[in-house]
Amino acid sequence: MFLTRFRLNTARSGARRLLSSPQQLHAAVMSSFAEPPGRPDGGPRVLWRVDHNSRTEVVLYLVGPQRPDLTHLVEQAGWPTTGGWQTYDYAPFLTRLTTDSTWSFRLTANPVHSIRRKDGEPTKRTAHLTKHHQARWLLDRQGAGGFTIVTKAPERQLLPQGDEYELIVRDQRGLDFTKVEQTRGSRSRVTLVTATYDGRLRVTDPDAMRHVLTMGLGKAKAYGCGLLTLAPVR
Amino acid sequence: MSVLVLRLAGPLQSWGSSARFGRRTSETAPTKSGVIGLLAGALGRPRDADVSDLAALRFGVRIDQPGTRITDLQTAHHADSEKSMPLSHRIYLADAVFLAALQGEATLIERLHAAVLAPVFLPYLGRRSCPPSLPIDLGTRPGPDLRKVLEQEDWHASDWYRDRHRSEAVQLSLLVEPTAGEGMPEYSQRDQPLSFDPRHRRYALRGVSAGTMRVPRAVPDHDPTQLLDGV
Repeated sequence: MFLTRFRLNTARSGARRLLSSPQQLHAAVMSSFAEPPGRPDGGPRVLWRVDHNSRTEVVLYLVGPQRPDLTHLVEQAGWPTTGGWQTYDYAPFLTRLTTDSTWSFRLTANPVHSIRRKDGEPTKRTAHLTKHHQARWLLDRQGAGGFTIVTKAPERQLLPQGDEYELIVRDQRGLDFTKVEQTRGSRSRVTLVTATYDGRLRVTDPDAMRHVLTMGLGKAKAYGCGLLTLAPVR
Repeated sequence: MSVLVLRLAGPLQSWGSSARFGRRTSETAPTKSGVIGLLAGALGRPRDADVSDLAALRFGVRIDQPGTRITDLQTAHHADSEKSMPLSHRIYLADAVFLAALQGEATLIERLHAAVLAPVFLPYLGRRSCPPSLPIDLGTRPGPDLRKVLEQEDWHASDWYRDRHRSEAVQLSLLVEPTAGEGMPEYSQRDQPLSFDPRHRRYALRGVSAGTMRVPRAVPDHDPTQLLDGV
């Protein structure tokens, strides 16, 4: 497994074109592999995420089973002579993950649930639209994902309820774009709601955690959702 | 000693200290005379009342959101003679948020706090056409350290302004009256009120020492590559 970091040059029109269209960024990410990576048959897959750290620091993270070649991205949306991309070996880090280790994490996800409005109706996938529900969506997945979100000490809680966890939900974005089916050429509309999570977690089951880190969490993984990354707690 | 904390936020504000004639300028932060006038009005004092007790309070301001300067060119004709009045340029600060703090005897500060909660004359932000958009009262804090109170207060900028700045550490300006032990002020400003009497308003010079403080980033840093080996 490899983790790759690529900084986008937001002053270039190519970068703005990619950032404004998850469909095009997905295509650009996938075309960085000569061999088509990970079929959705249970093997590791390609996950990516864009972090808008500041107006001029926009970083694409890419996790996948093969080493990507981002030359085309550098040419379109990077710094061709002074900047490139950095690929890191992810496997040693994943094997070192231990139970009860604590990490700060970041995740951009597509928090959804399936509802029916009346009996007998087929269920329909529906986005969570409030921070409370979006946080609950992640908290519901922590046991199976092999981690628990760290709870806050009572004296550090700012609210009587709703502030129990070391978790920030921010940057809700509504994405709405047209997708062109490669095979049939038909157009379909994609609407997504994404939210970014920052917080601290404790690993409870390293194997399940590794699965989340390499397979992603939630829906819309092709459109920059589901990649959870860990960093040392400061 | 205690400190009264006010939030001065509104679509328009205008805080003049050196304005003369047709050009009514605004400072970049609330003036002491403006805020003392607001409090005297909240207490219900007439304009020719003595304000020396309020003017003796120590005053400090924090610029939470600087706002933008806009100029209004005002024309008018005399109601009876229909002669044109002099043109006037009026400078306003749009979309600004300030924190003002006043330090003094606890009983007086409590009285001012009660007056802000139930003002006799409604408060306005430097000019009567500039009403506050949010409650101005943020309560009182015990203790003699005005600067510390301003430094410990939450950042009150609007959500859109925070969103624009949340990935950088933001510097806020503090403009505080120095105490006797703190040395010389950096500059002086003619906004120490002596009298608000409309027949002869008088202001004295007041020293201001400027400082800055940092607001930590709202979004934590996240670098997942820190523990990885490069390939």
